[in-house]
This record gives sequence, structure tokens and C-alpha cells, in this order.
Amino acid sequence: RQSSDGKVEKFQPPPKPVIIDKQKQREERRFLSPEFIPPRGRTDPFKYYIERKDMIQRRRVFNIPEFYVGHILAVTTADPYANEKTNRFVGICIQRGGKGLGATFVLRNVIEDQGVEVCYELYNPRIQAIEVLKLEKRLDDNLMYLRDALPEYSTVDVNMKPVSRLDHEEVPVNKLKVRMKPKPWSKRWERPKYNIKGIKFELPESKMKEAQKWSQPWLEFDMMREYDTSKLEDKIWKEVSEGLKK
Amino acid sequence: MMPIWTKSGKKHAVTLLKVQDCHVLKYISKEESGGKTSKLLVGGKNASPFFKSESSMEIFKEAGVPRKQKVSMFNVTDDAIIKPGTPLYAAHFRPGQFVDVTAKTIGKGFQGVMKRWGFKGQPASHGQTKTHRRPGAISTNKAAKVYRGKKMPGKMGNIYRTSYGLKVWRINTKHDIIYVNGSVPGHTNCLVKVKDSKLPTYKDCNKNPPFPTFFADGDEKLPEDLYDEEIFQFTDPSVTY
Repeated sequence: RQSSDGKVEKFQPPPKPVIIDKQKQREERRFLSPEFIPPRGRTDPFKYYIERKDMIQRRRVFNIPEFYVGHILAVTTADPYANEKTNRFVGICIQRGGKGLGATFVLRNVIEDQGVEVCYELYNPRIQAIEVLKLEKRLDDNLMYLRDALPEYSTVDVNMKPVSRLDHEEVPVNKLKVRMKPKPWSKRWERPKYNIKGIKFELPESKMKEAQKWSQPWLEFDMMREYDTSKLEDKIWKEVSEGLKK
Repeated sequence: MMPIWTKSGKKHAVTLLKVQDCHVLKYISKEESGGKTSKLLVGGKNASPFFKSESSMEIFKEAGVPRKQKVSMFNVTDDAIIKPGTPLYAAHFRPGQFVDVTAKTIGKGFQGVMKRWGFKGQPASHGQTKTHRRPGAISTNKAAKVYRGKKMPGKMGNIYRTSYGLKVWRINTKHDIIYVNGSVPGHTNCLVKVKDSKLPTYKDCNKNPPFPTFFADGDEKLPEDLYDEEIFQFTDPSVTY
């Protein structure tokens, strides 16, 4: 074919169609629960391997769903002193702590104008069911500041129905900025040590500037505090997924 | 240390102890040692044969065993004598047994009297001149001397101490691990001596233990994990009441 200029153009093949394989994308996303990652210390990694075997064993029998801080969960535990021997608590997960079999998570809710926080152990055999009612990540890893926020931000309806999530691709991040009660707070949340992004600080500029005096900008460059867990995570992910498949 | 749950839902903390290359090194008869019972020398973890004198290496050469880092003595009755050179395994103990664990405590160095002996010290203010953590008086007027063994500052820790009456919850025969109730003296990964309990309440607790010891090449084939009756095993469904 000759173009309008009269020159012979080189044949350019048409662009190949790009096939987006949704199944492959789903498999790529993987979540390793944070209690599997061993902390930095002088303990033998063999001890963590043995602990992980027990954790995988428990996960095979009892399903522990994937959840982050900020999700709304309902936990039923066995209680010898309750009417029907079961106890159900609904709340927002504000903190996930501990490593290995002693991993815990704290649920917060406001019931009849009284703030209640319950700390549950993930691998406690008395827990009968953990249901994720609403998937929602927040801007921070630790929502302890909800204690000093207005109670409307911590109230969760006890009879809430689980919100269905069809997309298995990404967990939505709620960029909600929380309004606080007047000071004094339980901790000075405006200080850079806590690195909180989810509060709408209504403090005067001078207070915010004064809080920056306690910032430690050299901490992020400290090489002794570096703990690269990527290779460890890969190994542990393979181990865990193989253990769960059996 | 790890948590462990019982079938009633209670949580207990448990220390993991690994039996690493334990061999019987030598048999010392009653007359030789001069004690009431005959003794058996047992060695733990393997270590390098260099940087050690020839005389200490003799014991290991006779037993035909690589050099061990820790050597300890056990008082043994005559019917429980084992031939030197036999390996010892974690299956020597059974779940439900009670055990004493001895180890060297964490060394704290030179410490003052408040940390070492728990003295109260003096108040921080109200006129105290340069006296906040001192022992105060060390003796009376009439005694006119300081008694021997007076609690004073000095090197703390790095001495052998025993925790008695610890229950064995679980034994892993494949990796030779003993799960012992509660805490154990010593730092992480330190060498430890585990004996049957000498407390009178637990005298009759061992029901048919492997006697004189568990032999790996014998006829007994144990399962990989041995659990106590009250432990909640993770293969079971959740606890209900």
C-alpha cells in the first residue's frame, strides 16, 4: 500500500490484544496474617517453625478470616456462665498484637453509652466463630485513639448484618478523619511518635508546632532498626498455604 | 515460651526444651564416687573438639562420642544403669510427669543491694543526703561485728538454680522437644539439666515410665506427638460447655 506521500511504508502489524486474566490477578493477592511473621530476636527459628505447625493445625479445623485493623467483627465464644453457654460480641478491631499462638486482637464497641473493649486471643479454643461483618481498612494500624474520640465513631450496631463483598481484589480504605473529645486525652495523639493520620486535629497551630518538637526524623534512616521481612514472608507464605491445602 | 490450653479452656504458659545429641558418657560405681548411689555422667549438645585439654577429651573418646558442651551427673540406682555411649531422647519423659529443671541464671553483673536482695532503700526526697539506694545499717551495736553472709552488693546471677515440680504437658518425639509448664531459669537457648522431680507430692506420679530409658532402636514405635490427657489438641473442634 502506498501512503499519500508516495513513499512505501514498512508493514506494521496491528497491536496484539492484551488478555487480562482475572483468575491470575486473584491468586496474586495474598494475605499473610501478621502473627506468622517472627519478631527479631535471639530465639531459634526452629521454635517459630514448631509454633507455626500448631497454628496451621488450628486454622485447618477452625476458619480464621482475613481481617485488618478497622474491620467490624462479631466473635462468639463459649462461656460457662452464660444462658446458652455462648457469648457474642460485635465491635471494631482497634489493635492486633502478639506473635505466634498468643496473637490477640482488641474489639471496641459502645453499648448503652459505655465504651467496652474486649481482647480476644486468635487461637483460643473457646472461640467458636469469627465473622467479618464489614471489610474496611483505616488510615492507621492502631486505632487506640478511638477512646478519646466522640463515641459515635466507636458505636457499632450489635445486630448488624454482614455487608457482602463481591470483589476479592482490594480491601477498601476508609479515609475517615475522626473528631476528638476536648483535651486531656489518654495519650498525646498529636505527637509524631504515634504517626496518626486518621484524626482531624482541631488544635491551634502553635500546639501542633510544639508537638513537632518531639519528632525524631533520624529514626527512618536508622540502619540498626531495619528488619526486612520480605524473604521470610515468602517462605512462611509457602509453608502456610501448603499446610492449609492438605 | 508458648501458650497451651486445657480442655476446660484455661491457659497455661509452657517452655520448650530441646534434647540435642544427649549421650551417656561414663558410669561411676558407688565405691568410686563415695556417695550413696552410683552415678552416670551425661553430656549434652555437641561442640568442637579443639581448644580443650587432652584429659577432658579422654572421657569422650572412651564413650565414642563427639565432645559435649555440658556434662552433668545423675544419681542412679543400680537397676537403672545404662551403657556409656547410648543416646538419650526426649521420649525418656512422658506427659503428666513432674520434673525439676536446673540451669545457670542470667548474669546481671555487679548489682546493688536493692536489685540483688530487694532492700527498700531510702526516700527520694525530704532531706536525704546522697542516700537513696544504700543498705543502711549492716549490724547492731552489741554484735560489734558483721555476720557472715550479710546481704551486700555483689555479682548477681550466673549461678545454678532449680525450678521444682514442673509438669510435662507434651513431648514431640520427632524433634525431641519437651513442653514443660511455667518458666525455667536461664536465658534463651541455654543448656539445662532436666531430672525427675524430688518433691514428695510427685513421688508416685510416674506411671510406667520408660525404664531405664527410651531406646530408639527398640520395638516401641511412638507417635510423633505425645499429649497429656487434659491438653486441648488443635485437631479437636472448639471447646464447648
